[in-house]
Amino acid sequence: MQDQDQHIASAYDRDLEAIQAMILKMGGLVEAAILDGARSLESRDVELAEKVRRGDRAIDEIEERVNEEAARVIAIRAPVSRDLRVILSVLKLAASLERVGDYAKNIAKRTTVLVEMRPITGADATLRRMAREVEIMLKDALDAFTQRDVDLAMDVIHRDHDIDQMYNALFREFLTYMMEDPRSITACMHLHFVAKNIERMGDLVTNMAEQVVYIATGSMPDDTRPKADKTAYATEAE
Amino acid sequence: MNDMRLGDRAKQMDDTKIRARGVNVFYGDNHAIKDVDVDIADRMVTAFIGPSGCGKSTFLRCLNRMNDTISACKITGEIKIDDQNIYDSRVDPVQLRAKVGMVFQKPNPFPKSIYDNVAYGPRIHGLAKNRKEMDEIVERALRRGAIWNEVKDRLHAPATGLSGGQQQRICIARAVATEPEVLLMDEPCSALDPIATAQVEELIDELRQNFSVVIVTHSMQQAARVSQRTAFFHLGDLVEYGETGTIFTNPEDSRTESYISGRIG
Repeated sequence: MQDQDQHIASAYDRDLEAIQAMILKMGGLVEAAILDGARSLESRDVELAEKVRRGDRAIDEIEERVNEEAARVIAIRAPVSRDLRVILSVLKLAASLERVGDYAKNIAKRTTVLVEMRPITGADATLRRMAREVEIMLKDALDAFTQRDVDLAMDVIHRDHDIDQMYNALFREFLTYMMEDPRSITACMHLHFVAKNIERMGDLVTNMAEQVVYIATGSMPDDTRPKADKTAYATEAE
Repeated sequence: MNDMRLGDRAKQMDDTKIRARGVNVFYGDNHAIKDVDVDIADRMVTAFIGPSGCGKSTFLRCLNRMNDTISACKITGEIKIDDQNIYDSRVDPVQLRAKVGMVFQKPNPFPKSIYDNVAYGPRIHGLAKNRKEMDEIVERALRRGAIWNEVKDRLHAPATGLSGGQQQRICIARAVATEPEVLLMDEPCSALDPIATAQVEELIDELRQNFSVVIVTHSMQQAARVSQRTAFFHLGDLVEYGETGTIFTNPEDSRTESYISGRIG
């Protein structure tokens, strides 16, 4: 990690590095779960979906280990300043990653149901693009974490806007399908939840990027990012 | 930090007790304190932290002219307590030290009874007209030192027979017996076990109601626990001075950061 100077107690450095390495490992697993979840949906691959569902346990286990290690470091080292911010942040990063993993698992679950239904033209490909965007945001958030790169983290925060807009577009698309053909309602409802899951992943990754800014600067970024999910106000007439 | 303390701080922000400007201290050729400006607030605990030899104890000793006793020591600049320059030729150091009490690293009770240890200062300064008044002064000081209940039945036993933690609280009682306005503490817990340390820390928090407390400590955690303001000294410079919570969560200077987080600076 990019914390220039070392502690006098080198075991303290090793503990901090180990706990941050766990976040990166967890992040790698979650990235794969996002991509595999979306791919399983697009290629109607039940086996891949099952793999994503099973893989969630490993993610949860790392989260638990992060929590235990963080508690241990707090108890033993009484971290202050930057070290304290790192410890507080890894707890939040791990919690966010665990939630993103859950959403990926939920996509995989819905895939196993959706394969039994008539496909909705174009939706799977759009969802996969959206998932791909979120996965890149997550990768960049993790890179920003490793490098303590505030600019990259801010860039991730701003990209959440695009995810929200993709979600808005899909929301309207599903609404249209359902109005045109009520037989598509079940599939569209499932797909809508998939879209919502990905949209929520974007929000969580945004929170992670904000934590990176906090580690690097000591304060959270100003809350100026645009909120582009307007579906809460959607009506049929629009 | 709890909210009540934040409220206290806001209320007392402007209540400066000690104002130091351009203070330099030399021990012969050694420039021990370099141009230090600092405002120490009334009814707050201010902690001085920094590595050994950084000047924090030296600066503390300037505040009650303890450095006067060292002939090679030369002090320039100005230190005012309540707008009175304590280095003014009209100031009597003995009177000053009644106003600015001090507690040292090792408990140093006089080889006298508990009662006489506490009564010593008030006697010198003629604070009691009779035995009854002196009894009251001693009891009040021992209560403030959070040691009354432990010693009230053996006030005439030698203070040196007490445990280290009790002795230190006797020394604190002795320091507050002359009704000082400022209490200087030079590593008051370094010779104490964790329980005695916690008792003295609790006591420091109570003393804050009536005194301006300045504490030098090597324990960063102690500074974080007991103080409202923290000053970090390094090589004779006052590097950073501010609200304790800020110093320990988000210090401005990289030297402060390195020191408090135990890094090789």
